Amino acid sequence: MTTTLGLDIGSRTIKLVVWESGAIVLTRKALTSYDPLAVCRELLHDAPTGPLVATGYGRHLVKEYLHCETISEIKAFAVGARAVFPSCRTILDIGGQDTKAISLTEDGRIDKFHMNDKCAAGTGRFLEIMATALGLSLGDFMAEAMSAEASHPINSMCTVFAESEVISTIARGIARPAIALGIHQAIAARAVSLLERVSITEDILFAGGVALNRCMQKEIENKLNRKVHAPADPQIVGALGCALIAEKNPKEEKKDGF
Amino acid sequence: MTVFNIPGPLINDRYKSDQVGRFLDYILKRREEGTPVVGLYCGYAPVELIRAMGAVPVSLCASSQRTIPAAEAVLPANLCPLIKSSFGFIRTSTCLFYELSEAVIGETTCDGKKKMFELISHLKPTHVMDLPQLPDEEDVRERWTEMVRKLKIFLETTFQAEIAADRLESEIKETNKKCRLIDGFFDYAALHPPPLNWQELYDVIGLDAVTNSGELQSLMAGITSTLDERVAAGICFGSPASPRVLVSGCPIGGDASKVLKIIEEAGGVIVALEACSGMKGYSIRIDEGTGDPLRAVAEATLKIPCSCMTPNRSRLEMLDEMIARFKPDVVIDVVLHACHAYNVESYKITKHVQDRHALPSLKIETDYSDGDVEQIRTRVEALFDSL
Amino acid sequence: MAFNVPDAKPLIEDEFVGEAAKRALQYIQTKRAAGMPVAGIYCGYAPMEVIRAVGAVPAILCAFANKTIAAAEAVLPANLCPLIKSSYGFIITDTCPFFGISDAVVAETTCDGKKKMFELISEYKPMFVMDLPQLPDEKEALANWAVMITKLQGFLEKTFEKSATPEGIEAEIKATNIKNRLMNRVFDCAARKPSLLKWSETYELVFLAQVATTEDLQATFQEVFKTLEEREAKGVHYGTASAPRVLVTGCPVGGDSTKVYKIIEEAGGVVVAMDSCTGMKPFMTEIEENTGDPIAAVAARYLQLPCSCMTPNTRRLDELDKTIARFQPDVVIEVVLHACHSYNIESYKIMNHAKNKHNLPYLKIETDYSDGDVEQIRTRVEALFDSL
Repeated sequence: MTTTLGLDIGSRTIKLVVWESGAIVLTRKALTSYDPLAVCRELLHDAPTGPLVATGYGRHLVKEYLHCETISEIKAFAVGARAVFPSCRTILDIGGQDTKAISLTEDGRIDKFHMNDKCAAGTGRFLEIMATALGLSLGDFMAEAMSAEASHPINSMCTVFAESEVISTIARGIARPAIALGIHQAIAARAVSLLERVSITEDILFAGGVALNRCMQKEIENKLNRKVHAPADPQIVGALGCALIAEKNPKEEKKDGF
Repeated sequence: MTVFNIPGPLINDRYKSDQVGRFLDYILKRREEGTPVVGLYCGYAPVELIRAMGAVPVSLCASSQRTIPAAEAVLPANLCPLIKSSFGFIRTSTCLFYELSEAVIGETTCDGKKKMFELISHLKPTHVMDLPQLPDEEDVRERWTEMVRKLKIFLETTFQAEIAADRLESEIKETNKKCRLIDGFFDYAALHPPPLNWQELYDVIGLDAVTNSGELQSLMAGITSTLDERVAAGICFGSPASPRVLVSGCPIGGDASKVLKIIEEAGGVIVALEACSGMKGYSIRIDEGTGDPLRAVAEATLKIPCSCMTPNRSRLEMLDEMIARFKPDVVIDVVLHACHAYNVESYKITKHVQDRHALPSLKIETDYSDGDVEQIRTRVEALFDSL
Repeated sequence: MAFNVPDAKPLIEDEFVGEAAKRALQYIQTKRAAGMPVAGIYCGYAPMEVIRAVGAVPAILCAFANKTIAAAEAVLPANLCPLIKSSYGFIITDTCPFFGISDAVVAETTCDGKKKMFELISEYKPMFVMDLPQLPDEKEALANWAVMITKLQGFLEKTFEKSATPEGIEAEIKATNIKNRLMNRVFDCAARKPSLLKWSETYELVFLAQVATTEDLQATFQEVFKTLEEREAKGVHYGTASAPRVLVTGCPVGGDSTKVYKIIEEAGGVVVAMDSCTGMKPFMTEIEENTGDPIAAVAARYLQLPCSCMTPNTRRLDELDKTIARFQPDVVIEVVLHACHSYNIESYKIMNHAKNKHNLPYLKIETDYSDGDVEQIRTRVEALFDSL
């Protein structure tokens, strides 16, 4: 009975997955904060022990301290996605602060990938800021968008300028649902542009925190004219991939007390 | 900004201000008559050769934001919108004129276009002309004439037709007649204040592609008489105090004409359009009766002051002429996003109009989206405020 | 990434280890002190044989530092290739020692940005701009380029008050061919499995070999081959047998943009082939000897350079095939400098070619000279190696 661990240290959230006897036995999530190492330690505190693999923006920061191997998030997602959805050939990940598209070969190896990690446009952060600008929680923001009868397009792609644009649009009396839908559609369009830089082959997996947003999923499906599958817990795909890779190549044991 | 009850529209045919409709019907009609269609992107392609062969030249679609996302699946996002749009039209098969074209002519004007042509050259017979980049070199006219000669061979081979010297000479005379008519029409833009707006300038320029000199002459009679009416009635566009604007730089069409709209909304009147989409080509005359019409045509197109030329002295000369003729109060240099040649050259343009003509200028870097409309507006208003 | 021994002797052992530019500068200064004029160049299209036949020494002008870009952006647009901005910045801040000692500058109409930037520096030093044909396969291209080279010769002769003879140019052709063969022997060592060389050693040698004459390089080459033979004999190699072998292609990589090479190594890869003008490219062609028309022979050789400013650049794919066969890389990484339209658009073809014809994973990295994107590059390179 092998236990392995995977950590996905993103710029906004850190996810932990513990994998044991072919199943996920524990998942934990926390905000990255300004001290990702401390957050990792908290997540690992009294979790089962075993070989650990880390990925994400913070992976090199913690490598020495947590005695773990690191892999790129592309690899982590490729492996995790196939575990969650074995027939998937294309992965779209919209995370807190970056987005990526990965296309896989038939046997699950990485074929092409494209990342946007230079700009928050079209990321989870963008959605958060827009929701706040509309005075809504993320859940209500999605609900309003889904209830909209029409869509009011937004022009700015820069997060900061889009926020100003939304505020001035509200001031002009445009209905909130229409603005909310317009925002979702703008992000969907960007996501599809990113996907078009790799090859789009079904089945398509939608991962990352933004995949929890049903409206986003629907708008991407509309734009792609194809079905897109969002797993029950889309945020842990990367961490799951890490835990699976740790199982295949157990290198270092996570040590207690550091 | 005052808008009066203006006699018009300028063009008194059944299309009136529907420029696109007029052009579309014209091409379809020619096609029905069996006339082959040759697509082009740029003023350097000598249209007289195409006409002398009995074909009709068409400018291929290049100014819509709509086709850009499709282009960006292959082309980099950081590229001129004109190139992305053109490629996007082809990729989505939505440029009717490209679909109708039986051959396409390209030139090595700028890097982006040059490399984009490589990606479409397998779709239709495509001929790329190697454009010399140093217009002051002594053998440049010789080299370009050779390129035009090769174009002739390509056209004759592709269409199994002949381009006879005497027909070419007739087309030269035709072009010159039309250019004189249109160039003469620009005199109205030089009036203080002008009796027409930029849309009308574009509409009349658009007649070049769909008329012969006879047809243009009769239409022009109606145009000038309408404009004379306006002038006689004291009707003008804007007011005597409106800032007169010379718009220079990259070709402005379709979605990029947002800049022209913004200039007018901010209270300016556009009195001169320097770019290839405007007045640039109409002051150039092709030498007639030289005995070597091919060379004459080649030498004429080489006079186009595009920023791909180095150094582009002719552009400064043309600006001097236009400033003297149209007496603008400001110069606005429109540079399409990622257009390196016009962007780097803009520095010289700014200095020149300032030092030589004491005119304030503004560079606007933009693309086809409407995300930057308010930022452009702020800059234009600030420019006018500074007068 | 390191040699498998702790004390590997540097390939070129002098006081300039790791300082390619300084080594080149000292060489040029020595020549200048001996009375030779200096011809500043920017690009692989500058015909070295003519420059040398006129009795001048070529100097590669500074173009690879981030620090001069801020000054350049007062005049040049920010959205422009860093190489062009850096070059211009060096000139207006008067901090390029090579430009400072140049008696003339040779320029070419390669790309739009360079072409228009040259206009802004034409008044500093006597400058000659060569009109480079853009369609190299057309029959007039060769003749037109030969005319340009002849004009360049005239310009250099007039500016330097020296003259070149056809025999002199023929002699330089032969010297270049000898140098190229010697350089290729070094590249063969880089092609070994595992490689005998670190990328920076090849890079330093390339830099020197561009400016120095074959004759002056003899001693250096002797030492270099001795060191390489010793390495081979003692089983000294660079990296491990399992490290991914990387072919880097694309824009010239130098100075601050060598961050890409460093990142590749830190991620566990070994750069075995540098397919750019700051790498092997300038040394890959043989110039035809004894043709009776040395200018034409020189013109033919330079027109073969597979730069993306050429259209269609089919030769690039052919050369890539040869390089892949020779170096047997595991991956292809293409470096495209920010706003370089030609290489960027062409990368689509390179990607398809690497994947479809050679079944090699491919990664395009668009970057500039700043260090703001180091971690993003690292993630992508690691992902590329992960996919192996």
